[in-house]
Amino acid sequence: MSDEQNLLIETADRLFADLAGRRGEDFDALWAHIEKAGFPSLLIAEEDGGFGGSWGDVFAVIRLAGYHALPLPVGEAIVAAWLLNRADRLATLAPRSEGRLTGDRFDGVLHAVPWGRHAADILADIDGKIIRLAVADAKIEKQANPADEPRDTLRFENAAAEAVAIPADLLALGALIRVAQIAGAMDAALAMSIAYANDRVQFGKPIGKFQALQQNLAIFAEEAAAVNCAGPAACRAMAKGDAGFEIAAAKLRANMAVGTGNMIAHQVHGAIGITREYGLQYFTRRLLSWRSEFGNDRLWANRLGEQVAAAGADAFWTTLTARSDATS
Amino acid sequence: MRTFSPLPFEPPAGGYRIRNDIRAFLAANLPAIDAPHRVNSWAVGSRAFSQALGKAGYIGMTWPKKYGGHERHPLERYIVLEELLAAGAPVGMHWIADRQTAPLMLRFGTEEQRVRFVPRIAAGELYGCIGMSEPGSGSDLASVRTRAVRDGDGWRVSGQKVWTTNAHNAGIMVALLRTGEPGGRHEGLTQFIIELDNPAIAVRPIIDLAGGHDFNEVFFDDLFIPDTMRVGDEGDGWRQVTAELSLERSGPERYLSSFALFLELLRRAGSKPDAATTALIGRLTAEIWTLRQMSMSTAAQLAAGNDPMLEAAIVKDLGNSFEQELPRLVQAAADADMDLSANEDFARMLSLLLQISPSFSLRGGTREILRGIIARNLGLR
Repeated sequence: MSDEQNLLIETADRLFADLAGRRGEDFDALWAHIEKAGFPSLLIAEEDGGFGGSWGDVFAVIRLAGYHALPLPVGEAIVAAWLLNRADRLATLAPRSEGRLTGDRFDGVLHAVPWGRHAADILADIDGKIIRLAVADAKIEKQANPADEPRDTLRFENAAAEAVAIPADLLALGALIRVAQIAGAMDAALAMSIAYANDRVQFGKPIGKFQALQQNLAIFAEEAAAVNCAGPAACRAMAKGDAGFEIAAAKLRANMAVGTGNMIAHQVHGAIGITREYGLQYFTRRLLSWRSEFGNDRLWANRLGEQVAAAGADAFWTTLTARSDATS
Repeated sequence: MRTFSPLPFEPPAGGYRIRNDIRAFLAANLPAIDAPHRVNSWAVGSRAFSQALGKAGYIGMTWPKKYGGHERHPLERYIVLEELLAAGAPVGMHWIADRQTAPLMLRFGTEEQRVRFVPRIAAGELYGCIGMSEPGSGSDLASVRTRAVRDGDGWRVSGQKVWTTNAHNAGIMVALLRTGEPGGRHEGLTQFIIELDNPAIAVRPIIDLAGGHDFNEVFFDDLFIPDTMRVGDEGDGWRQVTAELSLERSGPERYLSSFALFLELLRRAGSKPDAATTALIGRLTAEIWTLRQMSMSTAAQLAAGNDPMLEAAIVKDLGNSFEQELPRLVQAAADADMDLSANEDFARMLSLLLQISPSFSLRGGTREILRGIIARNLGLR
């Protein structure tokens, strides 16, 4: 890793930990720190005034946002700023839309928009066409996912829509953000679970001494490891161009991992983990929410399955290897 | 905390050319293999195939040329291994010698041992087996009792090894024998090379539940082993056995050995399968892709000279679990006219894998032991 990357990651780690500790404060006050540190411009080229970071940097930063359960849309901001090539105001991505595009006007609804109420711009996929909409033109219904993260419904009537050319599938880009967050949040929940198991005494010894718990925590670690390997691999594919296959596989694998990891995290913690006051819920509620966002298991399993079946048995291995030979 | 620190898989310039080379070799040399054997390919051996591989330079790829090796990059070797497994090639004859026996000699053995055995292993002519388990020593390997007793310029051995894969084909065994008292739990063990063509050795088959013959019992009746066949110092056996476990645990065989069943599922499914089959194919694809990335990253760590203990244990356990889930999921999702008694490839492959897949999380370290290692690496215990 270069010195610049190390500095970036240290800065993110420190800042995200600090801001996560201030959860509940006014969004604008917290977000100002993220903007000041320049994170939204991470992927924008240096000659355009950005940080000129890589997809590896993006994974590392968004993973840390997940690791600290940061209540801010750092991932969405980075990716949307890259797509729009401007980072001067907050933009986000719509995971799902309904409606009609007539010329440069849009009528319809964007569902579950992350931090929609706080953004200035939104990117949406309308039947394969990517458009930018201004939040100022929307009627906003404030909603939240089970982790209390804003997921707003935005209704547009005859709103100005600017066509945007983007080099990837919007849903897949959102999924990649969630994979990186899941990687971080799972490692954090695992770390909490291990610390708790080493600390909590029952039957005269720390419960982490019991093999039954050790075996479960090992399974948890394996699942977290799978996501922490899949995420960077998908980002490497992204850096080379087409990462549709890799992101689909990574998000599906991450979704599967969440199902197993969350159950073990809570089982190890016992009743305390279910309380509002204890910190585990910041991770597990986010993880179970992110599992559904930008494609649940069914969506990605079907997309991958259709693609692989259509290509046929004889193409499977040659395609799998050709893709990674080109990206590693 | 960071459970996995991925390292990109980066062979030297031109390294990927070897993928085409080995594919061309396989196109010309892969024997017709009965379908069920393709789902368990690293347990299926063919002397002719191993010799052809050796001749073409695909055994001992990373070893010094003076011992018959080819001084290729470890990641080039990785590419060859995954191609062999993906093709369901019968690699079982030489696999252990290539992965463990010769590397052990190159690392800890004497010059005499290297010169005598390694070139024949690289040629695909001499095969190895591993003498570790005994009737009373499975996961608790440190409890091995078969004793080597000093006798002049050598050692006398009486006792028994069991579950010895490939002993009926192998020319040599690397045996872990007791040479001293178990002061500390892992002391008093020494590794020896035993040439199996000896009247003091009896190899008896153990037939597995599906009728296959991989395992053996090996009996030593007052066997004499010259001291020149000792590998490493007396008492260093345990340290040597554990030194290269990461290499053994994280290879592509940990998720690819039953890959042929997945391909057969794809073949049967056709280009537009029903919803359940489509979703299953998607799920299995995601798991295969992820396991491959994990195995490749661990290979890159090893090639860089690191010892990724935690990652390697994770790759093995996840790979084993996947290979055990695969036949169960395929069985559950198969179409209604799939009949396990049918004399067709798909049914025969699935039937065999359903029967033998429990062994995947036993061989090379049980699941419980591996998870214990992972837990210890996480800071538990």
